[in-house]
Amino acid sequence: MKPNEFDVIIIGGGITGAGTQRDCAMRGLRTLLIERSDIATGATGRNHGLLHSGARYAVNDAESAEECIRENMILRRIAAHCVEETDGLFITLPEDDLAYQETFIASCLKAGIRAERIDPAEARRLEPSVNPELIGAVKVPDGSVDPFRLCAANMLDAKLHGGQVLLYTEVTGFIKEGDTIKGVRTYNHQTHEEGEYYAPVTVNACGIWGQKIAEMAGVKIGMFPAKGALLIFAHRVNNVVINRCRKPANADILVPGDTVCVIGTTSTRIPFEECDTVHVTPDEVDLLITEGAKLAPALNSTRILRAYAGVRPLVSADNDPSGRNISRGIVCLDHEERDGLKGFITITGGKLMTYRLMAEMATDAVCRKLSVNRQCETATTPLPGSEKPSYKEVADTIWAAPTTVQKAATGRLGTRAARFKDNDRYDSALVCECEEVSVGEINAAIERLDVSNLTDLRRRTRMGMGTCQGELCACRAAGLLAKAHGCVEREREDLKDFLNERWKGNFPIGWGDTLREAEYTQWVYKHVLGV
Amino acid sequence: MTLQEYTTSAHNFEECMKCTVCTAYCPVVQVNPLYPGPKQAGPDGERLRLKDPYFFNQALKYCLNCKRCEVACPSGVHVADIIQSARIRYDHSAPKLRDRILASTDFMGKLARPFAPIVNGVTSLGVTKTVLDATLAIDRHRTFPKYSATSFEGWLKRHHRSQAAFPEQVAYFHGCYVNYNYPQLGKDLVKVMNALGIGVQLLEKEKCCGIAMIVNGMSKEATKHAKHNISTIEKAVAKGLKVVTTSSTCTFTMRDEYPSLLGVDNSAVRDSIQLATRLIFEKLEAGAKLEFRPDFHLKVAYHTPCHMEKLGWGVFSERLLKMIPGVEFTLLDSACCGISGTYGFKKENYEASQAIGAPLFDQIRAVNPDVVACDCETCKWQIEMSTGYTVKHPISILAEALA
Amino acid sequence: MKLDTVIIGGGLAGLTAGISLQKAGKKTAIISAGQNALHFFSGSFESMQEAPERAIDLFEEAGIRLHYREGARLMPMGTFRPAVLSLEDVSIFPEGQLPRRALVINFTGYHDFFSSFIAEGLEKAGASCRIRFIRIDEMEHLRLSPSEMRSVHIARVMDKVWEKVVQEVRILLKDEDTVILPQVFGLKDASVPGKIRANIPAKVVFVGTLPPSVPGVRTQQLLRRRYELLGGTYLMGDEVLSATLDGDRVTGLTTRNLQGHPITADHFILATGGYFSKGLESNPEHVWEPLFGLDVEALEDRNDWYERDFAKDQPYLRFGVKTDPELRALKDGKPLRNLYVAGSILGATREDMGIGGGLALRSALAVAETIAKD
Repeated sequence: MKPNEFDVIIIGGGITGAGTQRDCAMRGLRTLLIERSDIATGATGRNHGLLHSGARYAVNDAESAEECIRENMILRRIAAHCVEETDGLFITLPEDDLAYQETFIASCLKAGIRAERIDPAEARRLEPSVNPELIGAVKVPDGSVDPFRLCAANMLDAKLHGGQVLLYTEVTGFIKEGDTIKGVRTYNHQTHEEGEYYAPVTVNACGIWGQKIAEMAGVKIGMFPAKGALLIFAHRVNNVVINRCRKPANADILVPGDTVCVIGTTSTRIPFEECDTVHVTPDEVDLLITEGAKLAPALNSTRILRAYAGVRPLVSADNDPSGRNISRGIVCLDHEERDGLKGFITITGGKLMTYRLMAEMATDAVCRKLSVNRQCETATTPLPGSEKPSYKEVADTIWAAPTTVQKAATGRLGTRAARFKDNDRYDSALVCECEEVSVGEINAAIERLDVSNLTDLRRRTRMGMGTCQGELCACRAAGLLAKAHGCVEREREDLKDFLNERWKGNFPIGWGDTLREAEYTQWVYKHVLGV
Repeated sequence: MTLQEYTTSAHNFEECMKCTVCTAYCPVVQVNPLYPGPKQAGPDGERLRLKDPYFFNQALKYCLNCKRCEVACPSGVHVADIIQSARIRYDHSAPKLRDRILASTDFMGKLARPFAPIVNGVTSLGVTKTVLDATLAIDRHRTFPKYSATSFEGWLKRHHRSQAAFPEQVAYFHGCYVNYNYPQLGKDLVKVMNALGIGVQLLEKEKCCGIAMIVNGMSKEATKHAKHNISTIEKAVAKGLKVVTTSSTCTFTMRDEYPSLLGVDNSAVRDSIQLATRLIFEKLEAGAKLEFRPDFHLKVAYHTPCHMEKLGWGVFSERLLKMIPGVEFTLLDSACCGISGTYGFKKENYEASQAIGAPLFDQIRAVNPDVVACDCETCKWQIEMSTGYTVKHPISILAEALA
Repeated sequence: MKLDTVIIGGGLAGLTAGISLQKAGKKTAIISAGQNALHFFSGSFESMQEAPERAIDLFEEAGIRLHYREGARLMPMGTFRPAVLSLEDVSIFPEGQLPRRALVINFTGYHDFFSSFIAEGLEKAGASCRIRFIRIDEMEHLRLSPSEMRSVHIARVMDKVWEKVVQEVRILLKDEDTVILPQVFGLKDASVPGKIRANIPAKVVFVGTLPPSVPGVRTQQLLRRRYELLGGTYLMGDEVLSATLDGDRVTGLTTRNLQGHPITADHFILATGGYFSKGLESNPEHVWEPLFGLDVEALEDRNDWYERDFAKDQPYLRFGVKTDPELRALKDGKPLRNLYVAGSILGATREDMGIGGGLALRSALAVAETIAKD
């Protein structure tokens, strides 16, 4: 085989693509993943980070609910360092219909979700931030999952199994022979080089952008972009996921994740052209705060860190142009069967929670095409970093002082943090003080995890995700990146991009402490540092 | 509902702008690199601890609780309160015997007073100091405060009748130090108050304010003391009495640490607890007069204790001293002396303690005053031990200057 | 407590006004809710178009030397910015006189000084550069804490061992005409930067670090000391809670620390700064001045407060308290007779006086002059 020939090409570096690459690679295939930007830049990194128990879907979509609870239990095992087992509450407020609780619990139990009615007082004890006026509560096995970490771990494992990854590389066209896709043509946005890569099968795992990729390949998929806006609060107001026990609606899930908590979402259909430029409007912000405060009143007086929006890939049931019949379930299309186009598979729909199952379905389809007969092992093989049950044990084995830095690093990297055991004091110096990210961790990410810029670094380490939103750490990290890449000029531009990217999430909530921080950041970067 | 009218969080930790100003004013971080610094130990660490108490760091014990980070913070973050609260919430290790002994100031006082000459003799012996150093890790350089054979309470009870004769009355929270170690300060206060036509009486029963317990991991015991003191003070206030104090730390503890660290509600009496210097200043500003000796002459350098800096009442001591004819006044740069109550007594903190105080000691030597004035008893021990200069309370200086 | 003038805000504007008034024989107090923006002072006043002799004298008397020199200064990210009035720490390159060969010195493992950016900036401007890292044993203990290798902590060490840096630099120096050092010298001892310059046979340029700014902290401390030596009362860490008004006059203030002890004065100066310092506050609905409820010039719709490009001039930074020509504060469209406004709280409402540090100096001097005459 030539270096640009593979068994399978996967387009899309979100969680579905990364998961599919891992699965294919574990089944012995030579894989190439192509992503036009960085990992987890689409819907993967723009959601709640909720480890659904499936309860949210139990009443209306039993199939999704069953998938969720199965995958939920699997992720706890294979992705322990990406998952927090927080549990979740579905609360009934005075304005809600308490009778819905009956239906809800029955549907959950039917789907195999352990749903337990608890006393409102018990709910307040479990989660002191919950709206004290609640009249009913059900406990379910929700949790939270860090999508960046999960995506990076899948991709890392794919690479450990021989996979190759091309980031900042866009697919510009397909190499077709008759009714068969033979490969893809690409353009690298960083090197400005064009390329050609060949494989008997190509998987389209591009989320909402999959429609365009399919069009490029000559087939049509009806997708309906739905924008969802969310807010990140500056600290963990709650330690248990809080949902409303009613028909799913706007801003009715509050998820604690790492050092923050996230309220969302809204749901607005948007035109396809807006997918790349979604922004959060003041009305959405106001709605999220108002509704969020009904779950946990403290949200109305808690500092907000960022506003962001993602685009859900809703897929119309096959060949229903009206879009009335939309599925939130997994859609796996073998275009040979569907459209007579050989060598092309689309995997879409679904959700972060079910990425592994989606990857399994896509990989099964790939294997069928390649006549490879290997079983899927992703449900039982832990991701790199999750090998041991407790990352806390690893924390003790790495460098000595001080404890918070080692704890934060092991929390993020799981057992992989063990590689820091030889680090010294120079490595333990902090770059990001809010999230406790050290020089050693930044350098390791730059070396190992395909980092080209500060924003990539943020996705892999949480650097710049804390309260100050990169005010101190961005320029420190820029110094390290400039050294690693040997190019200061590029880093200077990168720093400007990073500040802009942070501001993009800040100005929609630019008042109070956020505005104070913004003024301070302006001083530091413009007047003190001279960026 | 008004959306996000204000953002609030426990001790305002979210108002932290990560500006790093607090780190520039923390006396500990300058000398003890094992301490993570106020920003990391305070608001930064708080976010992590809220995520998982696992992130609690034992090194928070190096915080002096001097509150200089709070005074410096441009954002109003209660940095030191965050740190001390975290210690109360997350540190479940039992305090050492040594820390218990150091923290139990009134218990020790009661025990020692009847045997004062013996105790003073024994604790000042080189042998005892070595033993304390080796067994209890109380640094051998330290001299235990001397205990007085008669307590201030006993003295004032004997003068109860003459004090009651004054038309105006205040209750005096004297604190452990005045009662057991240095009754003269209490007597000086009585002299000054009497000169203003005010009689001094004791509270029904006061206990140690508890600050040493708070910082030594004995918050339960401290809370008991706090509740007791507040109820005693409430009784006095109900009788229409103001409660005056001479120790800046006891005052600060009862006014601010009780509610913010121990959750003890003092709102009914907080405003009635005042340093005597403030009360005297207000009396004089309102027209009261004090007669001073014409021949008085003293070169005074005033040191602002940390908790006085936090209270913001150093200005009253300063103004009173400047008002005394014959006083040549210098305001020392406000900086921690390093002792911070029991902190400097601990063997492991001795070096840090002295290093923290060094710039202050240097400035005192440069000014070369007759006395250093200061409203805090532990600063007095530290400055006297470290510089050899005599330290006096502003009230004592005032009393000496009276005609 | 009764004073002639009470100044709310202890930053550059407050201290400048306070010192001026004390010199004019007034009894004043400054109420300062914590430290201030001087801690992030770059060392240059950007919007000073003419030499304000009074400001230079006022600083000089406090032991801070300012120099008035037009040219460019080297910024921490390797860019150049115009400067006119600067602290003597800051080196100004007159037009066409940039370094030709520079030695950029940093401490090993110090990430708050951006040597590679500085070198690249100088190279772009035509200089050749070498970057070298030095290690000073006396500051190694700072490394035990992963967060505390900060400018001020290094500066505290350097006040004592600056000669070691000189030695190291002299060993490294070859044919360079310029040595670039991080601005971590002269925290307590203001003479250190000068001594370093005198002992290195090349032009020594100190370039800023991440905050706190060492020359900024020193400036704050020297100005405060000067103010106190002149008899001013600096109430550090106190905060005004409320004010009492009698018609169009402010009569007194209540502070958090001195509740029950009103502070009265003939004149008041509001120098509480911008958003960071809480001179202005904001919520999703509006921007307001929290102490007196003064008239604020601001845009109504929150959508208009921001430019989406972070680097562009942000409209919200132009908002400020409205004043009459004498800098008296407006409330409900009418001036309060004895409340004057100085510093960043003015936003861009008085563009004739500049912005930032320049605005603070000019407005404070103007206000002090008006009050002293009264």
